[in-house]
Amino acid sequence: MTRLKLAVLAVGSAVIGLVGLLAIGMAGQATESVVKYDRESRYYRIRVVDYPDEGRRCLHFSKTRGIQSSMVLEDPVKLDLRYSRSMIAALAYLPEAKDVLLVGLGGAAVPKFIQKQFPDVRIDIVEIDPDVVKVCQDFFEFKGTPNTHVIVMDGRMYFKRSPKKYDLILLDAYAADHIPFHLTTAEFVQLVKDHLNPGGLVASNLWEHAVNRFYYAELKTYQLAFPQTYLFPSGDSGNIILVASLEKDPIAPAELQRRAKAVLKGRDFGFDLADLIEKEYRLYTTQTNNEKPLTDDMAPVDTLRRENPKFFEEEAKRP
Amino acid sequence: MTRAIILATVFLAGAALMSMEMASFRLVQPEFGSDIIVWGSLISVFLVGLALGAYGGGRLADLGPAMWKLGAVLAVAGAVTLSIPLYADAVLEWVYPGQGAPLPTEWKESGTGASAAPVADSTKLSVYEPPDLRWPTLGAGAILFALPSILLGMVCPYAARLLIHEMPHLGQGVGQISALSTAGCILGTLGTAFYLVSWMGTRWLLVANGLVLVGLGILLVLGHMAARRKG
Repeated sequence: MTRLKLAVLAVGSAVIGLVGLLAIGMAGQATESVVKYDRESRYYRIRVVDYPDEGRRCLHFSKTRGIQSSMVLEDPVKLDLRYSRSMIAALAYLPEAKDVLLVGLGGAAVPKFIQKQFPDVRIDIVEIDPDVVKVCQDFFEFKGTPNTHVIVMDGRMYFKRSPKKYDLILLDAYAADHIPFHLTTAEFVQLVKDHLNPGGLVASNLWEHAVNRFYYAELKTYQLAFPQTYLFPSGDSGNIILVASLEKDPIAPAELQRRAKAVLKGRDFGFDLADLIEKEYRLYTTQTNNEKPLTDDMAPVDTLRRENPKFFEEEAKRP
Repeated sequence: MTRAIILATVFLAGAALMSMEMASFRLVQPEFGSDIIVWGSLISVFLVGLALGAYGGGRLADLGPAMWKLGAVLAVAGAVTLSIPLYADAVLEWVYPGQGAPLPTEWKESGTGASAAPVADSTKLSVYEPPDLRWPTLGAGAILFALPSILLGMVCPYAARLLIHEMPHLGQGVGQISALSTAGCILGTLGTAFYLVSWMGTRWLLVANGLVLVGLGILLVLGHMAARRKG
């Protein structure tokens, strides 16, 4: 009898304990993040997740591979991710830019920022996934203006078919964690170049977890096509912004900072653009690396991404 | 000897077929985008080719089977594959020429950035939907890859017919051919995806596959002649 009671007691307490643990676990998760949207689209698994403790809402294109976009719920127009601020550094080169193209909408952070800070700038956005456009409208407070056009299309197909030219082209087209190969090649870079006005420039987000051979091959591809190239390493997120310009001469950091200050006059960006330029500015035009440029025929993006450049291996071998 | 040549042909033809299929993705993606539509269309083209080829190849095999005829089929398949890089760009451009972008009307008139027309509801987002590319993609894939996959689809039934007198157990013999062919397909897929695309690029890959098939064709014709001299 006592044995039976003991057994019942043991099993009972075990069950209660388990339920308790489970409840604590679920509660703990609930305060950490709230999933607002989680659906398969034609291209991605789109997830919108709120992190109430941080007051942020994030866009993910896969469960594990990083944040596509982040929004501060109390200030939806603020540029939250550091790389998106580095992208804006491109605007310091061209304070008078009137026509801007963005390839890859993400969470619409950059277009919202431009809509608010530069209401006269005409911004066109090419995004392959119609569901991403919808999610931006429903969850990231992305609204239309007379100067905003969204084209649902593959970036490369758009360049091939549109006659329109731009002062500034921002490339941020990522499928989960990599750029699709046909948006990395010399043929693509030529298309981009053909769509720039004289003196125009392109800023491309290169997001690589480690510095790998793809990264250098991509730098080489742009370097061969443009007279000037710059890099803006954006903190420790792994993002590096590549800026390639049709300007003949390089722009010195002091001059770029002066332009940034002119841009900042009368505007509150929520971050110091001149300070960012001072910290991140790197001229890459005369740098050399041993990689071959990527072409449509030969763009082993996935292989190169897994390989470290030779000189890094040699560096590692040194005692 | 004859048997070994035919079985090797079955294996290598499978490898070349899948290698070509992997290359086809890389060939079409720059023009038609990275889209599940592209992969679906191209896989379907190859499967339709295999089905038609198997049917036709089986019938052809019953009309007097001979090794040199299979060799001729492979040589033609190889020659077609070899020449795909010559006209691929023109075909892709012809099927989906530079029109049909869903552009705002004011761009089409002016060419370059005219100011946008006033919109009644200013916070409504102007979104331009893409053209439907399902049938053009399938069409381009069919023009480029249907013929070689039909020809390669003939290999398995033809090989089975050629070896029928050396098969004491028909089930086992046909199963062996089918397994060998699939093993070749696996090698072609993995080899191409893991190594060949980064070693030789898309166009040379097609040329290499074509050369392998032409080589196999010649081997079969030579094998036929050698067997006849003996017999």
